Amino acid sequence: MRTFRTPCANNNGFSTVAAVTALLILVALFLFPRFVESPYTLHIMILFFLSTIMGGSWNILGGYTGQYSVGHAAYFGAGAYTTMILMQYKQVPPWYGIWGGIAIVVVVALFIGSICFRLRGPYFVLASIAVAEIMRLTAMNLKDLTNGAEGILATEIPPFTMGGTVITDFLTKVPFYYIGLVLAILTIIVTWLVQNSKLGYCFQAIREDQDAAHSLGINLTIYKNIALIISAVFTSLAGSFYAVYIGFIDPPTVLALDISVQIVLICIIGGIGTIYGPVVGSLVLVPLSEALRSNLIAQAIFKTGMVSEESGIGVFLKDHLAHAHALIYGILVVIVILFMPDGVLGFIKKLTAKKAVTGDRLTVTE
Amino acid sequence: MAILEIKHVSKFFGGLAANSDVSFEMGEGMIMGLIGPNGAGKTTLFNCITGYYPPSRGEILFKGERMNGLQPDRVCKLGMARTWQKVRPLAKMTVLDNVMVGALCRTNSLKVAREMAMEQIRVVRLDLRINFPAGGLPIGERKKLEVARVLATQPQLLLLDEVMGGLNPAESEEIIRLILDIKRRGITQMVIEHDMKAIMRISDRIVVLNSGEKLAEGTPEEIVNNRDVVTAYLGEYHA
Ligand SMILES: Nc1ncnc2c1ncn2[C@@H]1O[C@H](COP(=O)(O)OP(=O)(O)O)[C@@H](O)[C@H]1O
Ligand SMILES: [Mg+2]
Repeated sequence: MRTFRTPCANNNGFSTVAAVTALLILVALFLFPRFVESPYTLHIMILFFLSTIMGGSWNILGGYTGQYSVGHAAYFGAGAYTTMILMQYKQVPPWYGIWGGIAIVVVVALFIGSICFRLRGPYFVLASIAVAEIMRLTAMNLKDLTNGAEGILATEIPPFTMGGTVITDFLTKVPFYYIGLVLAILTIIVTWLVQNSKLGYCFQAIREDQDAAHSLGINLTIYKNIALIISAVFTSLAGSFYAVYIGFIDPPTVLALDISVQIVLICIIGGIGTIYGPVVGSLVLVPLSEALRSNLIAQAIFKTGMVSEESGIGVFLKDHLAHAHALIYGILVVIVILFMPDGVLGFIKKLTAKKAVTGDRLTVTE
Repeated sequence: MAILEIKHVSKFFGGLAANSDVSFEMGEGMIMGLIGPNGAGKTTLFNCITGYYPPSRGEILFKGERMNGLQPDRVCKLGMARTWQKVRPLAKMTVLDNVMVGALCRTNSLKVAREMAMEQIRVVRLDLRINFPAGGLPIGERKKLEVARVLATQPQLLLLDEVMGGLNPAESEEIIRLILDIKRRGITQMVIEHDMKAIMRISDRIVVLNSGEKLAEGTPEEIVNNRDVVTAYLGEYHA
């Protein structure tokens, strides 16, 4: 009997190394807050987890199923608002509130799906943007429910208790660190499960050629909606998590178009339709955006001593580099996309594939 | 009983009648050749039969059941599968994964699907390519992949749209043998083909389409001796 490789386990040597590495990283991540107490570092890690959850969720619908939604802020915002409204106005603790968020998001997703899945390609993209914008405008104007443009500020998170003992009172960043870590791992596990099941095959077939998939017995409506619901539910969880962690939401921070774009970028940068693409994308984008936002680049230039902080150029850099962070961020993203069309993971894969050329001619693809 | 009955099928695109009032039947286990000049409406007829779009008029019965208005996935599940004239590989997926997608029409288990897929891959002799991305295959192997993938859906009726188009003589010969092999397995086939020699050799009966209408139907001998066919169709080549 001929042996053949399955898409998940390339060969045994590699997967053992990968498994051990993954385990070590996991242990390190779980022990991390014991050794690092700096709230700022923990904050960056939490943002990294959040970004991984958001990218991982989009990846199921956009990366695997090929439905390029640029309206995922709709699900992020719906989760954030539901959990926040329940917590702040109805005294429902967030660990129950998130289920409310999920329920609402499923309804929203099925509604959006019924409109957008009739459309293909750029029309689908535009419709997904339009629906998310409608959600944002609704949140702006439904002042009784959402407090409109003023947003909602969380005054306090109830402590999480189990059988009378307080597990955590959410006063430090540590509980959020662990919640984020667990949700991020959960997102990766779900992606792995999808990729290694009939769902993953049907999703990818739809992505590669919708008509061919249809003619091979795949019910497009059912599978697209399954992908959408998985994707929306995890985006909603990310939104709820964000809302409770930051403690403040308003339409521009949880329902705006740039959130939708940000979510897509995480995957494009890391590698679309791969399990670890969103992780890699977050590893690149979160530090990059933090460095630009906190003006680390200007600081670094001053440190080299080439420009003094007090000189005219120095003042200019200090004033403008921070404000220009969106622009620089955009330019860097464009550069990555131009030179790594399959994301960082695809780029690494190509480099290693070139090395394998001499080994086995059949594995050469390009 | 006929496995497929086409009854007065017409398909209009705006004012253009791509199929008009086409009727014929197919018996179980046979190979029906479908020929006609470019633009005669052959592919359109396939599209109507397999639910890609509904016929404008007329009726399509598969195993006695009315197929009009059924979606392609339902049609495939009922046992009727088609290949595409312009091949549609799932480019970024491997050859094995492509064929597994077809097999997953009949099972929810990846393990079972993998076995079913390997069986069809061996039939078309793509064993050495299983881990190759489908988008990187040369045309001859893409056509074979197309056939393996529909075979994996376990069809009773197979519709092949120009699977020999663009192939060299050796590759065509391989496909001919494949089609005869599929017939031996008891699968009914309708085959669109431009290569006259090939179609005469493999078909039990032939339907000739011209400008959307059925021009003639009969055994290969009847067709080569039919004057209308010779002038309207073969004349194109032999005039
Ligand atoms: N989707 C479509 N819209 C408009 N016209 C079409 C469409 N599909 C096919 N046609 C027209 O119908 C006629 C038959 O096409 P087709 O069935 O592809 O022919 P064949 O497969 O016999 O070469 C052609 O004139 C073609 O231009
Ligand atoms: Mg055609």
